[in-house]
Amino acid sequence: MTTTMLPSVSDQRADASQWAVETHGLTKRFGETVAVNGVELLIPRGCAFGYLGPNGAGKTTLIRVLLGLTHADAGSMSLLGYDVPKHRAAALARVGAIVDEPRFHGHLTGRQNLRLLAAAREPAARDRIEPSLERVGILHRADDRVSKYSMGMRQRLGVAACLIGDPQLLILDEPMNGLDPAGMHEMRDMILSLVAEGRTVVLSSHLLDEVERTCDAVAIVDRGNIIRQGPISELLAGASVAVQVECSEPDHARVLLDATSLGAQVEVQPEGLGISLPTGTDRDVIAEINRLLVEGGISVYRLQQVQASLESWFLQVTSRLGAPE
Amino acid sequence: MTTVSDLSAPLPATVAGPPDHRGSWIPTGAMITTRMMELRKRRGLMITIALVTIGIPTVFLVIRLLMHAFDPKTYGPAGGYDIYTGMVSGVLYIFGFIVAATLGATAGSSDLTDGMFRHLVVTGRSRLALYLARIPAGLAIIVSLVAAGFTIVCAVCVFAAPTQLNYNGVNVPVHLSRTGFESWAADHPQEVICDFPYRIGPASSIGPVVQNVPCRNGPPTSGPPPSEAQMRSAASSIAAMAYANYSQQFLYPSDSLMIKSGLWLELEAVIGFMVALGLSSLLGQRTVAVVLMIVLEVILTPILSRARIPHLSNLQRSVVGLATAHLAPGGLSVLGGGGGGGPGGGMGNPRLLPESTTVAVCVIVAWLVGWTALGAWRMMTRDA
Repeated sequence: MTTTMLPSVSDQRADASQWAVETHGLTKRFGETVAVNGVELLIPRGCAFGYLGPNGAGKTTLIRVLLGLTHADAGSMSLLGYDVPKHRAAALARVGAIVDEPRFHGHLTGRQNLRLLAAAREPAARDRIEPSLERVGILHRADDRVSKYSMGMRQRLGVAACLIGDPQLLILDEPMNGLDPAGMHEMRDMILSLVAEGRTVVLSSHLLDEVERTCDAVAIVDRGNIIRQGPISELLAGASVAVQVECSEPDHARVLLDATSLGAQVEVQPEGLGISLPTGTDRDVIAEINRLLVEGGISVYRLQQVQASLESWFLQVTSRLGAPE
Repeated sequence: MTTVSDLSAPLPATVAGPPDHRGSWIPTGAMITTRMMELRKRRGLMITIALVTIGIPTVFLVIRLLMHAFDPKTYGPAGGYDIYTGMVSGVLYIFGFIVAATLGATAGSSDLTDGMFRHLVVTGRSRLALYLARIPAGLAIIVSLVAAGFTIVCAVCVFAAPTQLNYNGVNVPVHLSRTGFESWAADHPQEVICDFPYRIGPASSIGPVVQNVPCRNGPPTSGPPPSEAQMRSAASSIAAMAYANYSQQFLYPSDSLMIKSGLWLELEAVIGFMVALGLSSLLGQRTVAVVLMIVLEVILTPILSRARIPHLSNLQRSVVGLATAHLAPGGLSVLGGGGGGGPGGGMGNPRLLPESTTVAVCVIVAWLVGWTALGAWRMMTRDA
C-alpha cells in the first residue's frame, strides 16, 4: 500500500532553507509503472542545475510532481523552503516553469496570453509583461497571434510567462527545443544572467553540451531513480581518464598495452588509439604508456589526455545501467 | 548516491509569501476580465453566437417588415403578440440554450485543449478560483447577447404590432370590457355568429337563431332568417361566452410579459452555460459536451416532458428542461417546439408532465449547483 507523507514535519521557515528544491523519498506511480522512485534531490539556491536523463527516465514526471500538476504517491518535497503541497500557493508564487512544450491560446496574442497568466498572479505581474517580452526578444511580435509563432518563439514566450512572476526558481523543460543556434546562444546567456541575478534555474534537457555550458550542477535520472547528482566539476573528476594516442602500428601498440597491468582499456580507432584508464589514475601512468610504446619500437606522433566531457561521462554512467528490466 | 555538497555557498533565501491571496477560491476581477477577453477573442465562436442569438431573429423580422411594407394586404404586420410569443418560445428559447451551452463548453475546456491549464496551475492560483472565474466571464457574454436579441424582438413586436386585433378572422377592438365586448358583438352580429368560436347545446335558446344565419362557406339554412333583434341577442350571448378567450388576446406583449419572458430566457441561457461548463470540465473536451447538451435539449427533454412513463415520473421531473418549461410566463402561447418540451405556457400547459413551482425551482438549483460542483471537482483533481 502506498503511504502519502507529504506535509509531515517541515515547520521550518522558508527563509531558512538553503535549497531551492528538496525532495525525500518522492515517489510517483502510474499503475504498475514507477515513474519517480524514491527520489532524493537537493538543488541549491542561486545556481543553474541540469536535470538529465534518457527519454522516459521520469524527468518531466518529477517536474510535474514538484509543481503540483500531478500528485505524489509518497515522499516529501519543498520548493524554496515551502512544504509542498501544504504551502503550494506560497511556493509557486515565486516559481516559473515550462513543462513539456510551451502551449498557449493560439487565438490570442503573446501579450494577451501573458495578461491572462499575470491575472492569476499578483497585481505587479502585469507590469512585468513588457520587460519580460523584451528580455526574451519577442516584444516586436507581442501583438501577433500565437498561432503564427514558430516553436522557438513559443519557447521564448514560455520563458516570458515564467518571468512575469519574478521567480526565484525557474524550472525549464527542454527550453532549447525549436531554437536556432543563435536562439540557443541567447537562451544560454539569459539563463546565465538569471542565475547571476540570484535566481535558481533548473534545466531539464537532453542537450548535454548545452547543460555543461550552462549549469553548475547536474543530476542524472534513469527509470525514476536519481543515480548521480552533484557539481559538474566533481562528477567529471570521477570519470575515467581518457588518453588519445596517434602512433604507428596501432594494432601492435594495443597488444603491448593489453599485456601490461596498467588496467587500460585500449581501442583501435581511425585516428589512433583510444585508451581509457580507471578513475584516479596517476599522470605517471600516461608517461609509462609512452615509454612502453617507444621501447616497443612504435613511433608516437601525439599523446594527449582528453578532458572528460559531460556527454562522455553521461554515456559512461548510463552504459553501466544495463538493459531495462 | 552522490550528493551536492560543495557547490558555491547557497544564496540567502529572500522568498516571502505571496502578496496576494492566491490560495483563495474567490477569483479576482482581473482573472474574470481576462477570461472574458479569452472567450471574446474567439472570433468564429462569437460571430456564430451573435448570428444565432441576434442575427436569426433580426433577419426573420426584417423580412416580415419588408414583406408587410410591400404587400400589406397579403402579409400581416411584422410584430405583434403572436410573433412575439413565437420568437421567444420557438427561437430564442432553443437557440439561446444551445449557444449558451456552446460557450459554456468552450469556457470549460479551452485551457485544457490549448495547453494553458498547466501554465495557470503553475501560478499557484487556486484551481477552484480558476474555474469560478469562467462563470461570470461567460455569463457576461451570453446574457448580454441573449438580451440584445430579445430586445430586438421586443422592439419590433411592439412598434410593428397590428393596429387591430384579429380575432378568428374578425377585426375586433382591443381592451374591451365584457359589456363593451358584448355591445360591440351586438353591433356586428353577422361576423360574430359566423366566425367566432363557440359551442351551443341542443337546448340552447340561440340555437335556432344561429342555425338560420346564412354564412360564407357555412351549411345551407333551412328556416327563415332570424330578425335583427334575435341576431343581436345571439351575438351578444356568443360574445359573453368568448370573452374569456378574447381577454387573453393582445396586439403586442405587455411590459410585464416582456420582463418575465426576458428573465426566463436569461435563466435558460444561464442553465445552458453552467451545465455545459461543468460537463465540459468534467469531460475535458468541448465537442462531446456540446453534442450531449443538444441531445438533452432537443431530444431527451421533449420526450421526457410529455411522455407519461409509469414509475418514472419523478425521474422525469428531474429534467431541467421540464422545470424551466414550467416556469415559462403564462402569456406565452403553446408552440410545442423542441427544447424544454416547448415552453407550453408554464404551469397551465396540460401537455407537460405536472410539476409544482417549488419542485421546478429545486430541480434548476440542483442542476446548477451539481454541475458546477462536478466541474470544479474535476478541475481541482485533474492532472495538469
